[in-house]
Amino acid sequence: MADAPKLVNITVDGKPVAAPAGTLLIEACKTVGIEVPSFCYYPNLSLQGACRMCLVRVEKMPKLQTACTTGITEGMVVVTDSDEIRQARKSMVEMLLGNHPLDCPVCDAGGECELQDMTFSYGAAESKFIELKQHRDEQQWSPVVYFDRPRCILCYRCVRVCGEGMDVWALGVDNRGAVSTIVPNKQDHLECEECGMCIDICPVGALTSGAYRYKTRPWEMKHVGTTCTHCADGCKTTLGVRRSDTGMEIVRGDNRDKSGINGDFLCIKGRYAFDFANNEDRLTQPLIRKGGRLVPATWEEAFEFVGRRFKEVLDREGGRAIGVIGSTRTTNEENYLLQKFARVALGTNNIDHHRTADFPAFAAALHGKSGATASMRDVYNASAILLIGNDPTEEHPLLAWQIRNNVRLHNARLYVVNSRPIKLRRQAASFTQVTSETDFTEFLGGDESLASFATREGWNAVRDKLRAEQGLVIIFGSEIFGEDIQALARFAASVPGAKLLCLGDYANSRGAADMGLYPDLLPGYFPVSGAGKFHQEWKITPAAPGMNIGQMFEATKTGQLKALYVIGANPVGRLNVNPSTLKNTFVVVQDMFLTETAALADVVLPAANAYEKAGTFTNTCGDIQILKKAGEVTTAKPDFEMIVRIADAIGFDVRKLVPFGHGVHADMGQSRGAQSGEADQHAVWLEANGLEPKMSPFDPVATLDEIQRLVPGYDVSRTELLAGNDQHTSIAAMGPGTVQNPELIVPAKNNLFSSGTLGRYSRTLNSVIENKDPEPADAVPTD
Amino acid sequence: MPILKNIAAIAKGMSITFMEMFQPTTVENYPDGPGPLRGAKFQERYRGVHVLQRDENGLEKCVACFLCAANCPANCIYIEAAENTAENRISGAERYAKVYNIDYNRCIFCGYCVEACPTDAITHGHGFEIATFNATNLIYRKEQLLAARPAHLGANPVFNSAEVAGGAPAEVAPGE
Amino acid sequence: MATLVSHPDEVRIVSKRFGQGATKIDRYLELDGYKAVRKALGMQPDAIINEVKNSGLRGRGGAGFNTGLKWSFVPKQSVKPKYILCNGDESEPGTCKDRLIFEEDPHSVIEGVIIAGLAVGASSGYIYIRGEYRYLLEIMQKAIADAYAKGFLGKNIFGSGRDFEVYWHGGAGAYEVGEESALMESLEGKRGVPRIRPPFPAVVGLWGGPTVINNAETLASVPPIILAGAEWFANLGTPKNGGTRLFCLSGHVNKPGVYELPMGYNLKKMIYEVGGGIPNGRKLKAVVPGGSSCPLLTAEEIDLPMDFDTLMKAGSMLGSGGVVMVDDSTCMVKFALRIMKFYQHESCGWCIPCREGTDWLDKTLTRFHSGGGIRKDIDNIQYLSENMLGRTFCPLGDAAALPTISIVKKFRKEFEDHLEGRPCPFEKKGTVEQLPVFA
Repeated sequence: MADAPKLVNITVDGKPVAAPAGTLLIEACKTVGIEVPSFCYYPNLSLQGACRMCLVRVEKMPKLQTACTTGITEGMVVVTDSDEIRQARKSMVEMLLGNHPLDCPVCDAGGECELQDMTFSYGAAESKFIELKQHRDEQQWSPVVYFDRPRCILCYRCVRVCGEGMDVWALGVDNRGAVSTIVPNKQDHLECEECGMCIDICPVGALTSGAYRYKTRPWEMKHVGTTCTHCADGCKTTLGVRRSDTGMEIVRGDNRDKSGINGDFLCIKGRYAFDFANNEDRLTQPLIRKGGRLVPATWEEAFEFVGRRFKEVLDREGGRAIGVIGSTRTTNEENYLLQKFARVALGTNNIDHHRTADFPAFAAALHGKSGATASMRDVYNASAILLIGNDPTEEHPLLAWQIRNNVRLHNARLYVVNSRPIKLRRQAASFTQVTSETDFTEFLGGDESLASFATREGWNAVRDKLRAEQGLVIIFGSEIFGEDIQALARFAASVPGAKLLCLGDYANSRGAADMGLYPDLLPGYFPVSGAGKFHQEWKITPAAPGMNIGQMFEATKTGQLKALYVIGANPVGRLNVNPSTLKNTFVVVQDMFLTETAALADVVLPAANAYEKAGTFTNTCGDIQILKKAGEVTTAKPDFEMIVRIADAIGFDVRKLVPFGHGVHADMGQSRGAQSGEADQHAVWLEANGLEPKMSPFDPVATLDEIQRLVPGYDVSRTELLAGNDQHTSIAAMGPGTVQNPELIVPAKNNLFSSGTLGRYSRTLNSVIENKDPEPADAVPTD
Repeated sequence: MPILKNIAAIAKGMSITFMEMFQPTTVENYPDGPGPLRGAKFQERYRGVHVLQRDENGLEKCVACFLCAANCPANCIYIEAAENTAENRISGAERYAKVYNIDYNRCIFCGYCVEACPTDAITHGHGFEIATFNATNLIYRKEQLLAARPAHLGANPVFNSAEVAGGAPAEVAPGE
Repeated sequence: MATLVSHPDEVRIVSKRFGQGATKIDRYLELDGYKAVRKALGMQPDAIINEVKNSGLRGRGGAGFNTGLKWSFVPKQSVKPKYILCNGDESEPGTCKDRLIFEEDPHSVIEGVIIAGLAVGASSGYIYIRGEYRYLLEIMQKAIADAYAKGFLGKNIFGSGRDFEVYWHGGAGAYEVGEESALMESLEGKRGVPRIRPPFPAVVGLWGGPTVINNAETLASVPPIILAGAEWFANLGTPKNGGTRLFCLSGHVNKPGVYELPMGYNLKKMIYEVGGGIPNGRKLKAVVPGGSSCPLLTAEEIDLPMDFDTLMKAGSMLGSGGVVMVDDSTCMVKFALRIMKFYQHESCGWCIPCREGTDWLDKTLTRFHSGGGIRKDIDNIQYLSENMLGRTFCPLGDAAALPTISIVKKFRKEFEDHLEGRPCPFEKKGTVEQLPVFA
């Protein structure tokens, strides 16, 4: 870190202000609560000085100055509010409104429009403009972007955020003077990443969202800030919900308060792809297979049936005949509960999930090394970044944004090592194309034999530069696993301050791993064998590792596995499992849609998605964030509730599963506590942390209590978590992990417009894919 | 003379009484009066049951801006918006009210909705006989509130020209 | 080809070679060509800058900034290459002097560019010529090619061991690009919109390098200064306003044309003696003293010397030397409208007041001149112009506002004559489409 820059003292409206040298006047004013209005100024984008709203009087200057382009200088005396300044601003608003259609009642931005706000603050009640307004018809630029030229005030924010922020450069300005207009890169339509940042950043209603337009008004919605359920980056997305026939319908996703780790950013999926929740193919009632067909049933019937069948298998063959497959899109609480259900209620270690990264090896490599993992915020602030494998632009849009803007705003050095010419090479200080990322990793780890004669010199140069970096963040994709992660960690240890980041693919891939959805690992990467906290707490934990996904499907074939409980996963569709292997197995699936796996199931239970429940997600960096319930579909239940209900139906005491009601027994704990000489550890922990006992077995926060109590690294501040802030969990304190069998890792291979099962049911994503030009943008010669 | 004074006072008072006896009556003979209003008379400014107006092309003036609902102190207006399409044009702007309900259980006839309306779509009519034995009848739907389509609109190309040319009468809203 | 004019009061310095075939490099050399640059090659850079500074040469493009001072702002040491930029994007209505220089004496500009390059330590220069001057480009191309052929440009110029490259560039027809930073954007191949200053071009200019950008006339004035000395040049004009200047007389005047007169020459004399007075025995109504961006002077205000400071005091500007005479047969509303049409068309659209203000004023003036005006419009025209003034991103907004304000102030009566649906009193009946009064 450089020394703190020198402070410069200025006076604004008589108030003394001290700000670092180089601060813009408009920003310096903000620090003392003086708002200087502006349209074109946007933090972290290039300066424009075009809207002339931020005019202020600077002493000794002949004319009014724009606060957004003036840097502060020592002793500057500034007036931001006077009759002259107010008149200047008023006249700007008057001139803008000249050609602006006053269609606020129908405009989507009405109610959250910066021009409206400015008109209220500075504008005139009387309109002097009596000429004919310019009119141009609205244009649709893409399935999600509409442009209404007359409303545009030409602040150029969209042009800049698309170019500078996204590095897409799909928008430009055409014509000049009063007929200037924003134009898309393909004459009448856009060929871009469809991130919708232009819509979000538009101060008026010129750019509107195809998914939201004309549906409702901003004040009619409730806005719920939650975590995106698509990729593993964990952006905060604010969902606008309104009443519907079946609960609460999500009508908009945006980035309303910009308070999340993603700052200004949201990609197409976070912004528009909430619509899978409203898809008409969604399951609306439990289905039970009767006579070869899935027929609707009541919830009670379904739970009773599942409980009875599970109980039968348990009684006859024990827990080893039941397999459990968890999800990468259910919450940490649900994942934790699921593995606890498997291990404690079913007594089996046959539990696994769709792995997209080798987190156990990552845990093994960093065991005991504190401060060696990078958070999403670290990526934005690091002075150098090494990116091995993966294509973040497609698979981790927020990560790509953080890297790009770190390079643009902080002059960070980016080193890209990849077998493909990924787009981020445009920001890279060095791009090394390799035939295999693992070779380079092993080279970094000290095995120089893999560097061929031709590449050795280049690789050496990159390694030398990397070794000289302070504060390096090393990011690697699923190409790197097992021993190679160990090698990378060895190299990182040789670079002072280096941190590592392992990229998984789904919203809670990291959470599923951390919560122990492994046949051989407990939550926090502790081995199932051996004695530890979990064994003490849960009492009955099978010591032998269970079956992984591959083994489970082998076992169904041989009839060894009699029942399979699948939650929010589609192994038949995604992992190429042969459907016929499930013929003789009792399969229970909890999902939103009738996926390939659900279609083969004996019982299908309609599940709520991540936007419809509360809980926590851990993103691929290990940043834990809260999920808040936004939408509601009364015909679905959260997975958490369903697991508890099934445990109950088996006849298992749900108190042993979910730590609810602890500390509030009528006997005041005497039966377990004072008299028995054994304290109720959970109640003690709750009290020590100032938390209330949870009263319902369906309250996931009760399980969060247990996670925070038992999983090392997850003991983050509850207040921060509930406030919606991201917090970095520590993998160093967790268990030793394992170096696993790498063939179990199947990358999701999602791109910007796909998102596994959810993507298939998102109308917006599908319409964008259909509208893409058949040939890739690179193949077209640029003009 | 106090007696004469008293007589004079009584005579003065009774004279007013007798004069009024020969004036025409001011009592409204509702509901037994003549005409469709059965004797009821209104000031022009009387705030009765709302009317959703149409523009000169017969399209609905309401653009579903929700300002009436936002302004309503009784929270009795419920709107669902939808987008006009070329095939299904309901209002003059991009958006129209797919659902427009006023709950007359709650409405206090304050007129704030009328003041808030940027397109003069919602106005107070003179309808007043809304009493009912069933409270659910007091939730008026858009169809009950809409003004009738003027008959001259048959000639207008944006409207139901084909139907009217085919001999159909211009549509009239219920209750009229 | 322009017909050249002359008058005995002229002092021919920049225009000395006009009409003498100086486009041919041999002829130019006969007429003392490339002597100044040879002399400058023997001078220290600081000495060249001082010489220009002391001559009182002020920018001929309109702003009138001391040229030597401008050069001295260029940092001596620079990581990025320095550039000399000749602004030949002469687009100001009423101004046509650079066109004559390019047409009659292109080598003087090249010579000026080289000397400027020697003074600030640049080794390449660009000559940017207005898009509409397409035919001048060919002359300039040939001149540059000839200079290269003679070894005056390229490697080792004049055998001095110094290198200097000159490139020509044609604009695409945008008034806005006459603004120096917009010109640099245009030269870099971008949209011609002005840049934020600071940083000033002298520090961060073309391609991010320190850049000197001067008007073609300014650069053409440099060789004579180097040859004959600062003092000689300074004494030609008034104090602080050194030398001579090309005045472009146009409009209602008997002998229109470009005349080189000393700075501080009396305007009245210029109109009635040099220009030969107003044709057809008409009376002078108003004068635009320095191109269409300047506030107008009425016939009563013209008895003043033409230099930067006096005109500033008189509430106008010397600008780019385009003197336009307006006689009493002219409708001043139409005059204001014509000027506003130009600025509305040429506004780049970058900032709100200029983009929206010029458009609004153009619409209002059009309606007003066509008889559709109401009394409030007059105040509104003034209100809008005053609110554009000094608040736009670049001076184009000021250029549109200043003449309009002065016309409304000085000729308000003519505006009132258009009111109440009356047809324009200056137009033949039926020539202007009558619009109804906007109630």
